[in-house]
Amino acid sequence: MIGAGKKRRMFFALLIGVCVLAVGAIYADLEIGYYTAANLGSVAQPAPPRLQTSDVYSVAAYPLYSPQLVPGVGRQDAAAYCNTCHTPSYITMQPPLPAATWKAEVDKMGKAFGAQIPTDAQTRILQYLDTHYTPETRKR
Amino acid sequence: MEHKSSAYTRRSLLKTIAVGSGTLALGHFAGASAFAQQLPAAAKRLPSFTGPGPNPYWNSVGPIATYPQKAPLVLLTDRPVQLETPRNYFLNAITPNEAFFVRWHLESIPNEVDLSSWQLHIEGNVNKPLALSFSDLLHKFKPVTFAAVNQCSGNSRSRFGPRVAGGQWGNGAMGCARWTGVHFRELLDMAGVKSGSVQVQMQGLERGKGPKGMPSYEFKKSLDLSNPVLDESIVAYSMNGEPLPMLNGFPVRLIVPGYFATYWVKCLTDVRLLDKPDENFWMNPAYRVPDTPRGTTTPADVAGGKVKMIPISRMPVRSFIISPDGATKIPAGLPVTVRGTSFSGYGRVVKVEFSDAARGGWREAKLGDDLGPYAFRTWECAWTPEKPGKYDLAVRATDEKGNVQSDEGVWNPGGYLWNKIERQAVVVGDAA
Repeated sequence: MIGAGKKRRMFFALLIGVCVLAVGAIYADLEIGYYTAANLGSVAQPAPPRLQTSDVYSVAAYPLYSPQLVPGVGRQDAAAYCNTCHTPSYITMQPPLPAATWKAEVDKMGKAFGAQIPTDAQTRILQYLDTHYTPETRKR
Repeated sequence: MEHKSSAYTRRSLLKTIAVGSGTLALGHFAGASAFAQQLPAAAKRLPSFTGPGPNPYWNSVGPIATYPQKAPLVLLTDRPVQLETPRNYFLNAITPNEAFFVRWHLESIPNEVDLSSWQLHIEGNVNKPLALSFSDLLHKFKPVTFAAVNQCSGNSRSRFGPRVAGGQWGNGAMGCARWTGVHFRELLDMAGVKSGSVQVQMQGLERGKGPKGMPSYEFKKSLDLSNPVLDESIVAYSMNGEPLPMLNGFPVRLIVPGYFATYWVKCLTDVRLLDKPDENFWMNPAYRVPDTPRGTTTPADVAGGKVKMIPISRMPVRSFIISPDGATKIPAGLPVTVRGTSFSGYGRVVKVEFSDAARGGWREAKLGDDLGPYAFRTWECAWTPEKPGKYDLAVRATDEKGNVQSDEGVWNPGGYLWNKIERQAVVVGDAA
């Protein structure tokens, strides 16, 4: 004898199976109605500014969207010295560059642009760039 | 009728049962995954960087960011600000101000300009130094208007192989606007250029955090006084019939039609007549290209010190496929309009040719309106892919001097002058 509870379970199992087949058949030719969770951009629309008729023409502060440098030894030096003139986006934007190219870039910052970076900090910055931003080492 | 009603009955029955047993979600997802192989997933994101090979995408890969007076643009760097124009804007010959690319060298750029104290100075080796107000420029000179393409010297730098350091632009560091302003020569003549002057130097409000006298403190560019481009250059106070956006050089910038944007100094305040060539960093060694055909060389020759470098000047001829962009599959047999844009710093584009590779040869595209010798010239070409498959669309332009794009890229240490034939892979699907 088959119990009433078992019968019911079989009925529901069958029902689900029918649902699966039928709904599957409906969607087999045409995928419709699929949505996915997404992050709403964190940048809100700016409100229109309140303007005066004076000679002064101004815009809001320029937003910083600075990327994070990869954690590691030397990141503090890179952040501290390089950030004087530009954000880390100038590093992360680059393709993976060979160590010699990073050396030339850091040299250029000092010699051509006048960045005052102590020699030991320069060494640490270069080691950091070589450890995380060359074709062999870059992950992100 | 019977068929329809029975279908309705079946569906509504299913729905009722599913809702009733609380298995709507289960039925939906399980059913779909069991019968259809490809569930729509969330769109994939671009990688955060490209390389060591060339960037394969049309634009740079940065995120989309919003800046004052700007539509959402592709962010390269946030301080100093560098923003790239997304591809779709180039369907039109005129680039809207809010979408126009942005490129600064130094971080201290104006958020505010007080026109009651702002002046444009013409000084140096002149008989009568001038200090002109914004109102002077508007009212004391005959206005001149023309359309011209402004393109960053490093546009498409991310295409280089091997890659070079610098702003990793895709193709969107360019734009075309209608500029209105005052003839540059008229201002120079008014100040009276003294004999012995060789160059005119331009500087704007852009400053940096570096020590004074260093290129990290100020940005200055110069042009030879004998250069005929000065006859065509203007000091522009209007862009597409609007004030210049602050990020594009409010209140005035220099327009040097045909030349790369490095000379189009933004927020212009100081014009100096020089009696010897400008050797500041931004003229030498920056913004120099090999003195070779097409400005191309090799890393080995550069390392060997064999390459003579000269200041960058005119923009080589270029053309682009804007649509289709490869993101949409095209059913076989559907007539499609391939559209794009073109320009040359050497004068009008006179011919644009399109190829879908399948048929081999090039065929001439229909050109859009002629907005002037240095403006974008749009083009379009009817195209019906008859068979499913992967197509390699290509476009090449010829300018009025006979310059034509080639399939060879260029390489130089600055990442300048890219003008290789552009290609777009397109997938054509079965359409029974």
